[in-house]
Amino acid sequence: MTAVLDAFTRLSFQLLQATLVAGALLLIVILVERTTIGFLEFRRRNLERRYQPVVRRALAGDPEARQALLASPSRQQPAIARLLILPLVKDRNPSRVAETRAILRAMSFIPTVLRYLRSRWSWRRALALQVLGVLQVREYSAAIVSALDDPDPIIRSAALDALTDLQDPATLPAIVVRLHDASLPHGRRLAALAAFGSSSEPLLLDLMAVDSQHAINYVQALAICGTKRSLPVLCGLTGDPRPEVCVAALEALDRIGVDETAADYVLAALDSGNVGIRAASAKALRGCADPAVIARLADRLDDVWSVAVRAAHSLRSMGAPGLAALKAREHRPDTAGALARHMLWREPGPA
Amino acid sequence: MSLIVTAFSLVVTLYFVSWVTARGVFFPAAAYFVWRHQRRHSVRSRALVDRLASPPLVSIVVPAYNEELTVVDSVRSLLALDYEAREIVVVNDGSKDGTLEVLRKAFELVPAPVSFAEPLKTAPVKAFYRSIVAPELLVIDKDNAGCKADASNAGINAASGELVLITDADTALEFDAVTRGALHFLDDPDVVAVGGNVSIANGSRIENGVITDVALPRSWLARFQIIEYMRSFLLFRQACASRNAVVLISGAFGMFRRDALLAIGGFDPKALAEDMDITIRLQTHFRRQRKPMRIAFDPNPLAWTQAPEDFASLRSQRYRWRRGLMQTLWQHRRVIGNPRYGTVGLGALPYVAFFEGVGAPLEVAGYAITSIAWLLGSLDTSHWRLLLATAFVSGVASTLLAVLLNDLALRRYTRPRELLGLLAAVAFEGFGYAQMNSVLSCIATVQAARGKGGWGEMKRRQFRAR
Repeated sequence: MTAVLDAFTRLSFQLLQATLVAGALLLIVILVERTTIGFLEFRRRNLERRYQPVVRRALAGDPEARQALLASPSRQQPAIARLLILPLVKDRNPSRVAETRAILRAMSFIPTVLRYLRSRWSWRRALALQVLGVLQVREYSAAIVSALDDPDPIIRSAALDALTDLQDPATLPAIVVRLHDASLPHGRRLAALAAFGSSSEPLLLDLMAVDSQHAINYVQALAICGTKRSLPVLCGLTGDPRPEVCVAALEALDRIGVDETAADYVLAALDSGNVGIRAASAKALRGCADPAVIARLADRLDDVWSVAVRAAHSLRSMGAPGLAALKAREHRPDTAGALARHMLWREPGPA
Repeated sequence: MSLIVTAFSLVVTLYFVSWVTARGVFFPAAAYFVWRHQRRHSVRSRALVDRLASPPLVSIVVPAYNEELTVVDSVRSLLALDYEAREIVVVNDGSKDGTLEVLRKAFELVPAPVSFAEPLKTAPVKAFYRSIVAPELLVIDKDNAGCKADASNAGINAASGELVLITDADTALEFDAVTRGALHFLDDPDVVAVGGNVSIANGSRIENGVITDVALPRSWLARFQIIEYMRSFLLFRQACASRNAVVLISGAFGMFRRDALLAIGGFDPKALAEDMDITIRLQTHFRRQRKPMRIAFDPNPLAWTQAPEDFASLRSQRYRWRRGLMQTLWQHRRVIGNPRYGTVGLGALPYVAFFEGVGAPLEVAGYAITSIAWLLGSLDTSHWRLLLATAFVSGVASTLLAVLLNDLALRRYTRPRELLGLLAAVAFEGFGYAQMNSVLSCIATVQAARGKGGWGEMKRRQFRAR
């Protein structure tokens, strides 16, 4: 027993020593890291203070400022590039993008970006993709598209973002065919498509005609970039046997806007046995102030909550005729009455 | 007798070593997770939300009980957030102070009809208000049910967003907190909830409810809590998140898919640690149904909360946390060690049960028994010193790991004097504060065993510009 305890005691002492050494090393690492980061931050702030006004003037077209940027020492150029590129993430003004691209080309910055694009370090590749996209350097679109198949999900996301920023019509098919690629982030796929507006609509309609299995993805995409041209196809899908496709089609119709022909299809969906379809239909009808539609929507105030609340919102958005239908129910003690009272309620004006 | 005490002292010593070893194992996982996250969610990624035609509507639910000093600043900070597709639902949970009055004055509230479905049962809602100056603000006035869970459920009922963010009235959110949170849902449709790194606001400059300068507080009690938060949020939770095993989304910042919350029946009003309870219920519900799900965690400080600076408030908070922890562990005891629940059942919860559940009583027993035995001469000095030194060194090493991760990931408290203050807090924490916490945990464990509940009181202070 004593021997075991002695062994454990020795082990504990050794572990304590190891922890002590690890703690001391950590402390040294923290101090070194803090000093290094402090120095780098100090340098970055100094460079920013020095070059921020020059960058501003260069972007405003001052040739002297532009010359000063070109003549800057090469070790300071990454910091200058950062000052030029970062604001473009939010500010997508085409002339600013073009001006920045011209300055960076003149600074021979693009070859550095291309070197990063071929790097074995994923963070460098991601950075290069972001820069090419933000600067809209379109001659390297093919390299960006091929990065969509990179094994690293971060690179794939960065490539999709870059294509969104690039807005090169030649890359549109590459984005559309990846609509149902679940390995790419969902939100980014939709944002990429949204960046192209309605120009992707014909391609989506063609693909939907030959690939009905992924209809839901195309319908969701049409909800973002579709126009009146998509209405016949979407109307046809309101009777699809797959409820999720029906709901997506109704949501897309709601986004695009329901015309008289489409209203018949949407109204038919209001009698579906599926709650989701009825709810989507009630919402999509908000732009059709036809008396027949109003009467049918008013009936749906007695439906389950998710349908009733959408019907109530649609009635309110129809103006006087819809409000009249709500007013007729405002004294009822049930859910329809509560909804009607809520929809008719107005914030009192300032005293 | 001497042999038994010596053996016990060695068990406690090895417990401390295993604790710091576990932290050492977490570090690379957490560091890699944070590095990947920061790369994935770059400035460019956050711009994604702005570019979406219709970003998801987020309902920000703020349960408020006796929050007259902080609630107006909190709501103002929420109104200033950069995410536009949002509504703010403040739930006045039967406050006894002027919470509703200050809201009414500051935001010109007017009564509106109550007309939302109540899929989650709550204490009766007395009134529903809308704001004339801030149309996206709703205020629900309801009876108090003695818990935050009930107020959160009332807010979830009223929420019209597909995403619901639950926060506290004494919490200030980062300007882009909702954008960062929503990005997780946009990136991965399997995400059902997102937790955020919660930091301590004491000492930092807050203007109009928004953090403008991060600094260390003067109070040592608050400094100790800062390093505790660093250890918890930066090491353990990131490591869990890297394996989809998050078991706690802090009540100060938790973003959920509303349908997921409704599917599990919302927050449990009987739970004392309702945030931990709901996270584990989400994990187990979807795993039982074999549905793909992920609970994400954002390592960036998304929310800033006030740490208690007086002992009474700290004690009350710690009692409640501990009682909540014990209740939750007991409630989900069948998950612990159960392979059906994957890394949650086999990794995260056993860790919590051992190091947080059993750890504190073991530490207190270790200090007490070995000290008495040493005084009585039943334990030799070397073993006693070994235990104390290991406890101290393991605490310091584990905290230094968290400080290093904080530096690499978040770069907070960067001024040299702040580093010194932080390191001093790391060193001094082992001389009383850590032991006090363990004692409070033991007392609360006994309270939990006796079935004591309740939230206790905490002194509130106004967020103020420094």
